[in-house]
Amino acid sequence: MTARTPLWPILTDPLLRQNPVTLQILGICSALAVTTSLATAITMCVSLTVVVTLAAGLISTIRRHIPDSIRLIVQIVIIASLVIVIDQVLQAYFAEISRTLSIFVALITTNCLVLGRTESFARHNAPLPAMTDAFGNGLGYSLILVIIGGLRELFGQGQLLGRQVLPLAEEGGWFTPLSLMLLAPSAFFMLGGLVWAIRSIRPEQAEVPEHMPPRAEPAE
Amino acid sequence: MAGFDPLNPWRRLLALPNETRMKTLFVAFAVSAVCALLVSGATVLLRPIQTANRAAEAQARIEALVRGIPGMAPILELSGGTLSTVVIDLEDGAAAEGVTPATLDEALSEPSNWTALDRGADLAGLGRRPDYAQIYLLREGEDVSLVLLPVSGAGYNGRIDAVLALRGDMNTIAGMAVTQHSETPGLGARIEEPAWLAEFPGTETRGLDGNLRFSVARGDASSAYEVDGITGATRTSNAVTQMIRFWLGPEGYGPLLAAIRRGEF
Amino acid sequence: MSELWPLFLRATFVENMPLSFFLGLCTFLALSRRPETAMGLGLAMILVLGVTVPLNKIVYDAVLAAGAWGWAGLPEIDLSYLSLIAFIGVIAATVQLIEMLTDRYLPAVHAAFGVFLPLLTVQCAILAGSLFMVERQYSLAESAVFGLGAGTGFAIAVVMLSAVRSRLAYADLPAGLRGLGITFIFTGLLSLGFASFALMAAE
Repeated sequence: MTARTPLWPILTDPLLRQNPVTLQILGICSALAVTTSLATAITMCVSLTVVVTLAAGLISTIRRHIPDSIRLIVQIVIIASLVIVIDQVLQAYFAEISRTLSIFVALITTNCLVLGRTESFARHNAPLPAMTDAFGNGLGYSLILVIIGGLRELFGQGQLLGRQVLPLAEEGGWFTPLSLMLLAPSAFFMLGGLVWAIRSIRPEQAEVPEHMPPRAEPAE
Repeated sequence: MAGFDPLNPWRRLLALPNETRMKTLFVAFAVSAVCALLVSGATVLLRPIQTANRAAEAQARIEALVRGIPGMAPILELSGGTLSTVVIDLEDGAAAEGVTPATLDEALSEPSNWTALDRGADLAGLGRRPDYAQIYLLREGEDVSLVLLPVSGAGYNGRIDAVLALRGDMNTIAGMAVTQHSETPGLGARIEEPAWLAEFPGTETRGLDGNLRFSVARGDASSAYEVDGITGATRTSNAVTQMIRFWLGPEGYGPLLAAIRRGEF
Repeated sequence: MSELWPLFLRATFVENMPLSFFLGLCTFLALSRRPETAMGLGLAMILVLGVTVPLNKIVYDAVLAAGAWGWAGLPEIDLSYLSLIAFIGVIAATVQLIEMLTDRYLPAVHAAFGVFLPLLTVQCAILAGSLFMVERQYSLAESAVFGLGAGTGFAIAVVMLSAVRSRLAYADLPAGLRGLGITFIFTGLLSLGFASFALMAAE
């Protein structure tokens, strides 16, 4: 009997230990732009997770027959087709959110995360482990996006999923929204902060310094 | 053995080494064919749902718009709660012959039912204007007491679609709702905020001389013909001004409004 | 003509792809450690965006848009849902072509690009340029100007970041913040700086 690759670590690794966004720098491209509200962030996460899981499954199924010369374009075509289908589904059933997401759902096609997983894992593994890995990476990506999206909406508008959680000052409450949260820089700062937090919890992820400062004299 | 024949060429193809030309072409074709089927299938299946949803959304916005107009809700109850709708011919300002709300989309898919606009007349940046439009009316006896006009124009970041409601004098705005836009969040996108839209009711569009004087002001409104501008969103505000001026002018609903005022409608 | 220069400035500064729209961040962050690599990437971005956006505009109008097949007697055909795949195909072909041409006729330029050219085939920013062009319905001239502007903006941003990162390498940072963490925070500061352009060239 062939050795069964244990699926649980494949699923949970990308959550913290090998998070695609904070460690592998994959998938940030179109991610941060959609985190101004939690609803759009969640829609993006679901879309990406579905696309990456299905793409990994499909590519893994035909992995033995993809010629090397056209392998990249074959993967891109499969991913693009899945993205178009998802985009059409969103336009049909979630038209409002689809408009807010505009081109970013289409950009899942060139998302380094999707291509990265299919290129490195799905092409060399059986469908079930490949889909599990893809799903796990999708979850890791979703974790980061949901945190950032939630915080940005909470502090930028006092709302979560459209419902007013912190009463606005102009409506008699105490909360004055931080408009900075609605602008691009806040997502960068939060991401930097998240990276710092994760690398403090797991110091093995911290990068090696490129230059060692000259050692001061030994302490007296 | 005879039973394997249909599968044999398939198996042989799959068994080819990946780098041969035959295999490469086969895989390329197969992948393209499957993906094309997938994409086209999904699009064809979902298109009717998308159009239906868009129509339902537009309808819901219109109903919400009317209900939000101060004083309109009781009048609406009296008249039975529904608005009558008709497709009008924009050139004549009269009901269109041969085009109904159901056949409107079909009619507008023909390029001959659109009129090109020259630069001087094209205030809203549309390039061309449909010859037919579906409007909604409320009548009190013989008179038209409210008319809802769909308008659109080129915004800063894409097209803006809106519905403008005019009172029976065809001059005072009863309300406005924005149904679609792609403006900058926090700036131009504030045109969809109820707080800003609440300034429209009561704003007049034409001066005593009959000229269109409506505009979105830079800063606070200073006359009965203006609404407050949105800080940092000058281009979007200008786009709204131009859009409303175009559609209330001679190339838009001007003939229709004149006809209603004359009592011919 | 008078609209093109403001469009260029807007594409370069106000709507800077990596700093305002988070597009192309993977390559932006990965290739900004040294100013030399950043310059190569920047030049490649200007060239590829400046060529692919107008090219995709032509393809879109001729093949994909609703009514594009009117000349063949099939005006109802609307293939715009295939734009994604078509654009990627055009981008891949363009990148390949540029690489072959520069390798043959302009070897110095080819050396300046380094290995970045093929990387740009799957770069979000390149695809986004074409998608924005469709969404905002730019004309051909506007597409070209927008493409060049977007590429220039990307180049400016990545070179600025690389200049700072090459010095951050000597900084004494907390271990968790080293590398990626501080880069994100600094990119946020850059983005904040560029956001001030939005107020200068307010709509």
